[in-house]
Amino acid sequence: MRFFRDYLVPRIIQYIVVIFCGITAVFFIPRLTGQNPVLEMIAQIQSQGSTLDPTAVESLMETLKELYGLKGTLFQQYITTWKRVFALDFGPSFFQFPTPVSELLKTYLPWTIGLFATSTLISWILGNILGGIAGYFSRKNWSKIIDALIMIIRPIPHYIFGIIVLILFAYVWQLFPVGGMMLGRRTVLNWRFIMTILRYSFLPAMTLVILGGAVWFQQMKLLVQNVKREDYVQYAQTGGVKERFIIYRYVLRNAMLPQITQLALVLGQVFSGVLIVEMVFSYPGIGLLLYRGVTRGDYNLVMGITVLSILTITTAVLILDLFYPLFDPRIRHK
Amino acid sequence: MKYRWGIWLSLVFGMLLLVSFVASAQLPAGISREETLVVDQLTGRVGMPNNFNLWAGWRNQDRGIQQLLLEPLWTVDYATGEIISGMAAGLPVYNDDFTQMTINLREGCTWSDGVPVTADDVIFTIDIHINTQGLLYHGPMVQYVEKVSKIDDLTVVVDLKIPNSRFHTHFLDRWGCLRIMPKHIFENVEDQLTYEYNPPVGNGPYVLFDYDPAGFWTLWERREDWDKTPTGKLFGEPQPKYVLFQWFESEEGKILSQLRHEIDMAQHTPEGLRAVLDKSDAARGWRRDWPWVVNIDPCITGIMFNNLVPPYDNKEVRWALTLAIDIVDYMAIAFDLMAPVSNLHLPPVPAYLEAFFIPMQDWLKDFELNLGNGETFKPYDPDVPNRIVEAAKERGYPIPDDPAKIQELFGIGWWKYAPDVAEKLLKKNGFTKGEDGKWLLPDGSPWKINLLSDPSPTHHQLKNANAAAEQWRKFGIDASAGPTEAFNTLVLNGEFDVSTQWPAAEPWGAGVDLSRTFDPWHSRLLTPIGEPVALGPGGAARWCNPVLDEIIEKLEKTDPFAAVEETVELGIEALKVLVEEMPTIPTYGYCGAVAWDETYWVNWPGAENPYSQPYHHWPNLKYMLPLLKKK
Repeated sequence: MRFFRDYLVPRIIQYIVVIFCGITAVFFIPRLTGQNPVLEMIAQIQSQGSTLDPTAVESLMETLKELYGLKGTLFQQYITTWKRVFALDFGPSFFQFPTPVSELLKTYLPWTIGLFATSTLISWILGNILGGIAGYFSRKNWSKIIDALIMIIRPIPHYIFGIIVLILFAYVWQLFPVGGMMLGRRTVLNWRFIMTILRYSFLPAMTLVILGGAVWFQQMKLLVQNVKREDYVQYAQTGGVKERFIIYRYVLRNAMLPQITQLALVLGQVFSGVLIVEMVFSYPGIGLLLYRGVTRGDYNLVMGITVLSILTITTAVLILDLFYPLFDPRIRHK
Repeated sequence: MKYRWGIWLSLVFGMLLLVSFVASAQLPAGISREETLVVDQLTGRVGMPNNFNLWAGWRNQDRGIQQLLLEPLWTVDYATGEIISGMAAGLPVYNDDFTQMTINLREGCTWSDGVPVTADDVIFTIDIHINTQGLLYHGPMVQYVEKVSKIDDLTVVVDLKIPNSRFHTHFLDRWGCLRIMPKHIFENVEDQLTYEYNPPVGNGPYVLFDYDPAGFWTLWERREDWDKTPTGKLFGEPQPKYVLFQWFESEEGKILSQLRHEIDMAQHTPEGLRAVLDKSDAARGWRRDWPWVVNIDPCITGIMFNNLVPPYDNKEVRWALTLAIDIVDYMAIAFDLMAPVSNLHLPPVPAYLEAFFIPMQDWLKDFELNLGNGETFKPYDPDVPNRIVEAAKERGYPIPDDPAKIQELFGIGWWKYAPDVAEKLLKKNGFTKGEDGKWLLPDGSPWKINLLSDPSPTHHQLKNANAAAEQWRKFGIDASAGPTEAFNTLVLNGEFDVSTQWPAAEPWGAGVDLSRTFDPWHSRLLTPIGEPVALGPGGAARWCNPVLDEIIEKLEKTDPFAAVEETVELGIEALKVLVEEMPTIPTYGYCGAVAWDETYWVNWPGAENPYSQPYHHWPNLKYMLPLLKKK
């Protein structure tokens, strides 16, 4: 009973409040940017050279407001937004009208999940293993060399690193394509399809794995160096416990806890995508979709992506909070 | 242990080689590079790759829809100064009072599914636009069309509600117009606004072959019956069997792709163009030598004032700001001296140089500004191109000696750099200078100018904003560039003082009709701040003038095809009003940094042989393709 009152209920209340505040902010912030999606669309139409009569402009504005669901007061729009959130239907994208936002998410999200989730998991595993071993053997020369390399790589921005990778692998050695996945609409699941995806995803994935892995490496190395100094580790060493056993059972397991929390939070970032990497490699993902939505005042699209992001991250954190006592006996004890 | 590492390394390298070599080449399966023209797409990744219905909204028409799939009635070609009659057999014919327009259609053309193109398609297109609110050309069709009918299968008559000698321009393709719909496809559609028009049936020389569901590319295949399209009848067989439109999210990717000879035609930033020309052994610009860029684009860049906001509602203030600009310095900052300057509200394209710029030279030289106290000043400086030449020579660029070439490269003249005269004009209007040498407004507050601009650093709007801010800072005004994502919204609503929106609406670029430039300044289109203007370029200056109103109304009653001389005279009169009033400051003609790769295709329409406008994103690409040659 105490678990429900002191642990579960506060966290669920916190969960609901965060979602409410997040969605409210996402509703208002795009409307404060000064961009009007109806006028953005009219400017796009005018770019085709048509001078419209003022009455025609007025009529077009009314039509677009109607189609976009932007009629009514701000409060009415806010209520409509909540109805849409509960129905998980975010209406049509303004700039890609009449395509529903849900349709766009269905098209682009799998690409980002495929790239981001895979590369994040690979970088997490590699970074933690290498970082853990390098942290434990931090006095060895090979550990110092790896550490120095990581120190050089880690501060490189994604854009610069991506361009370097692109120049080396796509231009100098010409091993991989520059961009533009040639799959087409008549794709079938076969060997060619798999190889094409691998071929076009390799460089963006490599960029994310190396840069992401460098971060995990450094974090894990520091954690392990701290854990290594704990009494129980020293005691085990003095007691003649096998080193491999100490590393895997005592040091890495204890150092892993904050890394697991961090992984859950990082995976939630899938919705903001890996914008820069998507740009450099012309990779079809949700980061670019969100970017276009923001720059063009596409409220529905921004709302759709960010609401999913809020729901996913908050739910991930809630689940983590609920399961954390299983991983960490100290919390269970409290 | 060593062996284990070796096995792992071999596996990794094996995978790498497998992935990089076994998979497909850069084109979809079965498509030969030698038979394919690859071009980059200008307007970004296609948001709705499944949707080709450009009558209902923005559909990235430059993915090949306007270049290959559809042929309009007429198309502008600003390189030759001609209007190409495509689906129409000739130019439109108006009755005496411009209440009726007759269209004669080209004989023997068919849609890509074999159905003949007839007058019924034209009638259906106009009628469906009148009846369907939400279609992009609903407004003008409702406003002007009384009735549309046919005399026979190839002759359409449009009766107009009010006289309009420019009604045909709604069907004149200049990167956008009302294109004719295939009646047999659209008449069965329940909702014209949500219909995807996929697969699309067109009257152009290519049909859709494939596209990327994520919107990065679209591939078109030449029609087997290309000879039943206007392109085929006018110019012959388009040479590439396939045309691929491809979007690159990063400039770097596009450059690398062109260096690998994977793109034949690409539009870069000026810096990107230089990188390609520097590194590629097969690339060329529109000009083979410096300044490489396309400088005959029918679009003028510059500075726009909001003429409803003080002090920019005062023409002497606008003129003072003009004279505070050293255009040579300005051009060096904005575009490395590579573009032609223009002091008129027109791009200096060949047709306009001959019809307007050259005939106005004497008037421009005599034009005077009244500085007060009986003092006058002649602001025109025909020597500007020579000053630009000197600056370009200092930078080490190769400059021709031929005066005609110099005019072609740098324009015909601009306004003098006269900060002393600018100071007199400002002081005449109550402006003062503070102790720090900075200008104060007549009410004594500091004069600050924020030049509202598009945020893209490669856009001419930001280039103009940076250059103008620098010039005005030197003159003593607290000026800065103000790039913002909300540029379109703010400009259309008039929520700015000074911006770098296009200073005048783009003219047609062919013929002598400038109505497209002047129309947005008619007083009937003037809207108060807070309400969107009818056309952002030019129109967002929110300026009008009774003399210009009269000229616009006279132009409306002048046949641009039959009364050429009168049309030119009216155009010159209107341009004089614009010079006197200076509602916006034109600076230089828009330049496109186009690079062509000559690995697979040659005979590009470069400056030495401008048989067509040179851009691949313009609808005229279809008319260029029959003249390309395989290498």
